[in-house]
Amino acid sequence: MPFTAKSGKFSASINTLTMGTGEKAIVLGGENVFPFYTFDAPIANAPKVGIEITDGGLEAEPDCVKKYYEGCTTVADMAKKAATFEGVDFLSLHLEGGDPNGENKPTEDLIKIVKEVADAVDLPIVISGCKNVEKDAEIFAKASEVLDGRNAVMLAAKEENYKNVGASAGLAYKQVVGAESADDINLAKQLNVLLTQLGVDAKSIVMNVGTAAAGYGYEYVVSTMDRIKAAALQQGDATLQMPIITPVATETWGIKESVATEEDMPEWGDQEARGIDMEVETAAADLASGSNAVILKHPESVATIAKMIKALI
Amino acid sequence: MGKFVVIGERLSTTAPIINKAFTERDPEPVLKRAEQQLKAGATYLDVNIGPAESDGEDLMKWAVQLLQSHFDNVPLALDTANKKAIEAGISVYNRAKGKPIVNSADAAGRIEYLDLAAANDAICIALCNGEGIAKDNDERMMYCQTLLERGMEHGMEAEDIWFDPLFLVVKGMQDKQMQILECIKMFSDMGLNSTGGLSNNSNGMPKAIRPIMDSALVAMAMMQGLTSAIVNPNDLRLMETIKSCDVFKGNTLYADSYLEI
Amino acid sequence: MALKGLDIFKLSPKKNCKECGSPTCMAFSMKVAQGAVSIDACPYFSEDAKAAMSEATAPPMKTIKVGAGEQEMTLGGETVLFRHEKTFVNKTRYAVDICSCMDDATIDAKVAELKHVDYERIGERMYVEMIDVEFDPASGADRYAEVVKKVAGEGRVLILDCQDVDAAKAALEVCKETKPILNGANAQNYKEMNDLATAAGVVLGVHGADENELYDTLAALEKLGNKNLVFNACTSSVKAAFASAVQFRKAAIKDSNRTCGYPSIVNVSKLAKGDSHMQAALLSLFTVKYGSIVVAEKIGYAEALPLYGLRQNVFTDPQKPMKVEPGIYPINGGDENSICLTTVDFALTYFVVSGELERSGVPCNLIINDAGGLSVLTSWAAGKFSSSSIAKFFQEQDVEGKIKCRKLCIPGKVAVLKGELEAKMPGWEIIVAPREAVQLVKFLKDMQ
Repeated sequence: MPFTAKSGKFSASINTLTMGTGEKAIVLGGENVFPFYTFDAPIANAPKVGIEITDGGLEAEPDCVKKYYEGCTTVADMAKKAATFEGVDFLSLHLEGGDPNGENKPTEDLIKIVKEVADAVDLPIVISGCKNVEKDAEIFAKASEVLDGRNAVMLAAKEENYKNVGASAGLAYKQVVGAESADDINLAKQLNVLLTQLGVDAKSIVMNVGTAAAGYGYEYVVSTMDRIKAAALQQGDATLQMPIITPVATETWGIKESVATEEDMPEWGDQEARGIDMEVETAAADLASGSNAVILKHPESVATIAKMIKALI
Repeated sequence: MGKFVVIGERLSTTAPIINKAFTERDPEPVLKRAEQQLKAGATYLDVNIGPAESDGEDLMKWAVQLLQSHFDNVPLALDTANKKAIEAGISVYNRAKGKPIVNSADAAGRIEYLDLAAANDAICIALCNGEGIAKDNDERMMYCQTLLERGMEHGMEAEDIWFDPLFLVVKGMQDKQMQILECIKMFSDMGLNSTGGLSNNSNGMPKAIRPIMDSALVAMAMMQGLTSAIVNPNDLRLMETIKSCDVFKGNTLYADSYLEI
Repeated sequence: MALKGLDIFKLSPKKNCKECGSPTCMAFSMKVAQGAVSIDACPYFSEDAKAAMSEATAPPMKTIKVGAGEQEMTLGGETVLFRHEKTFVNKTRYAVDICSCMDDATIDAKVAELKHVDYERIGERMYVEMIDVEFDPASGADRYAEVVKKVAGEGRVLILDCQDVDAAKAALEVCKETKPILNGANAQNYKEMNDLATAAGVVLGVHGADENELYDTLAALEKLGNKNLVFNACTSSVKAAFASAVQFRKAAIKDSNRTCGYPSIVNVSKLAKGDSHMQAALLSLFTVKYGSIVVAEKIGYAEALPLYGLRQNVFTDPQKPMKVEPGIYPINGGDENSICLTTVDFALTYFVVSGELERSGVPCNLIINDAGGLSVLTSWAAGKFSSSSIAKFFQEQDVEGKIKCRKLCIPGKVAVLKGELEAKMPGWEIIVAPREAVQLVKFLKDMQ
């Protein structure tokens, strides 16, 4: 008697969303099954992998990442280089230097970098904010303007600034609007509703529902994503059918497993391997739980995760 | 668990304006009412064309095509005593948004409606009633069993038979109300779906009272496991209650704007 | 899993004879489902139907015990597909593989390497629990038994990865008391392997070239009366491995297919030989999606730190908060003259706060209160993180005897405690820290 499995295909599906334009454009979502459940139904659009660089340039990168960007002097150089790494589908420019509690770089300086980077690569671009809601609103408005026509992702609108970000990125410049809710499933839904009520096309919204590094309260991440996919697919809840994008690098490269040097923790061994595996294992768990795209930092992590995705689809 | 299924009841020949529109094949009043109901949150629309003995087939086809072409293949409940008209309606029905509902079978003269639903892969509302009103829940469950067996014999999945306990009017049958609620619990314990004309309870009451009674009853019935009802979706209080109960039951995720979606 | 009335009704005679005392078979089925009446009250329920029912009410997934003594552990026994539905009960276990083709020095080095990872995280011992010993036909059964004997005393559960009956027999002779897994049954040898496993009283692992063969062999073994089984996810590709692990778990839990209801072994060492980062990714993937045992080529700290943290998170009971041990945690070389910060013992709070403190580079003492494992605001609201509880805890721990510095930072979310604490802890300067942990780095640096 052969093994017969009941199909777990749903009548509802995740929205398809295009990032970028032209030949390098990529499509997220569209599946009507749980992550990687290709045995239930084919998954047309494999999850995508992005690489993150920051406005801080080479200096801001961990030592183990610097060597991959040898010879780069500007952020745009790094972007060009990053575009050549194996497995890279899109580029995320993280403007962390804009944080008023940090470097507090003026918006104009950051936008100059955005423009240089955009001119340097034809990959789909994600602009990741500095986490300060007022500053982000300003950054995303200007970035949307200079990236007009690039179909870029503004990551992300939050409860406090969704009106501004939705209006500039979504309505004025038709960019993709990220909606950020930190492991709060009700807020995730609410933000999608609010953005669509504002007039933003539901098909141009991508969710960042939050992540954590593996071991750091990751159970919330799994359950948030599990429940969102269940609502979207099983309950057919159209307000949660947006694809999910997950910035992994920002979580994993700041924790001690990645930061502690070999001198600090001799028994832990090679620091680079620790950094990569923390990033890779977190990303794999994110994808298994429902992320349609992950943003990573180390080129080796990008290559590994791209390979894993390919093997599973 | 899926969301509570609201079947909008306002496309009925009992309403003079709809009766006239059906007779004259006038799309406008039909579309207007359909839109009002869908905007208010109806999932299915009931299309009650009455006995429609003479031109039922033509009328049902007309109504199905009219509604589905205007409202993105809205799923419909086909409601008439004319079986041929139901078949005609299904013959032009698009299932993209859900199976058609046959409204309705009972355990007496209309039991063949189940055969009809089975033959057409439709959902069937099954009224747990024989001749006259059932005297107690033993009798209702007897009918329930008869209907369930009949459907399964004809190859239906149990989930496609939506059992109707027959809601009774409070004025006159107040003492039967808890029986109906207990009956819903029995359906639910059995793992069966259920529906019914819930607002029947408030028949004959002052207009201002009816939404209050209907809302209270729907909350109690949903607690007992009711999975659907044939109601007026333009009753705001009722719809707010249903959406709120869906949140409590975990049928939908809460968001601050839950009443607006 | 409880049966719905409908499931019972479908098996019932549907005669409505009333001999059971219920008016209809449906009413009777409902009462049986509620446990109000025994199925035996019906004289017409067929034996087949009763057997089908008892089968249907059995747990969807077997709980399998492996290992002996202190090494005994349980696998499987899951009742849900997603942790938010209830909880996962038996965590994924990890194994490193060795092979009888390796020389002793290589094996010693691999065993030493896997034993190097052994630490505690929030009250849980993190170590590589199992060793997978692969059989190499070229070096033969004797060498295999020798290798098995060599590693049997290492305090790890053994997986005898061996489909050769003679070699398996020889290996069992030297290690069966440790209750290894005999991971060697396939479509051809399952009868002989079944005899070996049952005679030795060990769990039998089942292989199949594809899902159908695997399923058939599991069914054949069940027919022989053996339900002390685990199955191997297919190894033909990553995709096939994932499909078999997920589909069997789904079939067991959702569709009550008992033949699929066994713990799984996923061998990522075979799926991504030589690619350590890919193996790390797959270790993580199969921890989230349904690997009961995952075998890798190597698990060092790089692989282990995220992996064990992930596992601890995924297998935590949603109803129970994760707690860290209350006490004084010096950070960045903090000593008796370093500033003190205090917060609650909710594990997530501890990790986030200690992480930020480490990032600041400022030497300090993090004092973790006994707050019932709740977050700052929740424990404060519950009276478990109050001025009196903090003052009492400082006394119990003799903080004043151990630390000379009298500066204490409290979480910004409980700024209201400042006045009360100053009254209850004379001599201390109470400083209100930021509300969010991410602001701690700047806060500490600014203070210096």
